[in-house]
Amino acid sequence: MGKKKNALTPTTFSLLHATDFADRLLYNIVPPLKAGMIVLAERYAYTAFARDVARGVDRRWVRDLYSFAVRPDLALYFRVPIDVSLDRLMARRVKLKFYEAGLDMGWSQNAQESFRIFQGKVLDEYDRLVEEFGLSVVDASLAITDQQQMVRNLVSRQLERPTLVETAVNQ
Amino acid sequence: MNPIPEEFQGANGTIQPGRYYGHGLPYLPIEHYPGKIIAIEGTDGVGRSTQIQLLREWLEVQGYGVVETGWTRSALMQPTIELAKSSNTLNKLTFVLLYATDFADRLEKEIIPALKAGFVVLADRYIFSALARAGVRGVDRAWLRSLYGFAIAPHLVFYLKIDVDTLIRRVLSARGMDFWESGMDLKGGDDIYDSFRAYQSKLLREYSSMSDEFGFRVLDARRPVDLIQEDLRRHVQAFLSSSDISVDV
Ligand SMILES: Nc1ncnc2c1ncn2[C@@H]1O[C@H](COP(=O)(O)OP(=O)(O)OP(=O)(O)O)[C@@H](O)[C@H]1O
Ligand SMILES: [Mg+2]
Repeated sequence: MGKKKNALTPTTFSLLHATDFADRLLYNIVPPLKAGMIVLAERYAYTAFARDVARGVDRRWVRDLYSFAVRPDLALYFRVPIDVSLDRLMARRVKLKFYEAGLDMGWSQNAQESFRIFQGKVLDEYDRLVEEFGLSVVDASLAITDQQQMVRNLVSRQLERPTLVETAVNQ
Repeated sequence: MNPIPEEFQGANGTIQPGRYYGHGLPYLPIEHYPGKIIAIEGTDGVGRSTQIQLLREWLEVQGYGVVETGWTRSALMQPTIELAKSSNTLNKLTFVLLYATDFADRLEKEIIPALKAGFVVLADRYIFSALARAGVRGVDRAWLRSLYGFAIAPHLVFYLKIDVDTLIRRVLSARGMDFWESGMDLKGGDDIYDSFRAYQSKLLREYSSMSDEFGFRVLDARRPVDLIQEDLRRHVQAFLSSSDISVDV
């Protein structure tokens, strides 16, 4: 990734992820929806809205870009403070990835410092998204079992609303 | 006619060359860059490269710095696009997005730096070929314009206009019909000649429909090479001599 010629810009980064998403939408998301199944998606367009805008692309542009996506019936946002997510990553001794830490932005040469700056912007964007798209927030600093209980409650409530299941089937 | 997003320059009929069409790249301000973009558009095999080569030589002799950019030539995307074409697993949406990625990469790494440095950028196809191909494939036009809102409106757009019969003869005598240029992915039948004719006819209509929206300068491409080139040079000469661009002497 160090090779400058192939380095991604905020816009090509965004477009490549949208391409990948379009492919997954067509092959992995739409067919099961048509079959009346439940699709669990880890990350969705909202990731792009937060992450790409943190990199400097236009907010409106990236929302328009993803307008081909199916609107989820339920969108969960697991919110944690940066310190918690950084601690969790460090505990697993993972090396922070170049783009994940926002090192491409050149805000800091230090991966942890860069992660902190970049993720700070990402979290700010997520807060906007919660309002704009009505994301259901799960406090991800709680114990795993407590979070799971919340998730199950939210999902159950959603599934009890037959009209919404119908919509998914008809997309 | 076309549903065009409001924030898109073409929506209100006034296009400002050298500015972003739409939202643009907020992290790359481009105001007052001295370079110019001249785009040569037209369908497959119409004669764009022939004209660009002649135009380039002529501009260089006069002392202009010239940079050429062409479709799917980005370092980032060329291998991916070639692969996608050969494997046939991509749908129209992913194709559109790959082309847009290629364009974005060239815009940021070639076109914008060249504009900043005062070059004349000769674009062999610009965003219009992408819009035409996607439009023919039924991709939403408003969405496409918003997608390409990061593109810069060229200072001049020449459209090499041709009729399908002349095109067919030109392509057959030059190199033959190719799978993609015949729209064989649209599965209109196995006959490549019929498919080429039907697909290219649609494509030509699609280009024509953009002519007013984007202010194409239309050149009759049925004529001999040197006559087209004469026209081209006359337009370019008039534009450059009235502009502030500098020449190495
Ligand atoms: N005005 C013209 N009259 C007749 N033949 C022409 C004319 N212009 C170009 N040709 C011939 O048509 C062929 C295609 O020309 P050229 O490669 O310039 O087209 P192109 O638009 O760049 O094609 P492609 O879409 O493949 O990039 C060449 O053999 C060229 O010599
Ligand atoms: Mg060519």
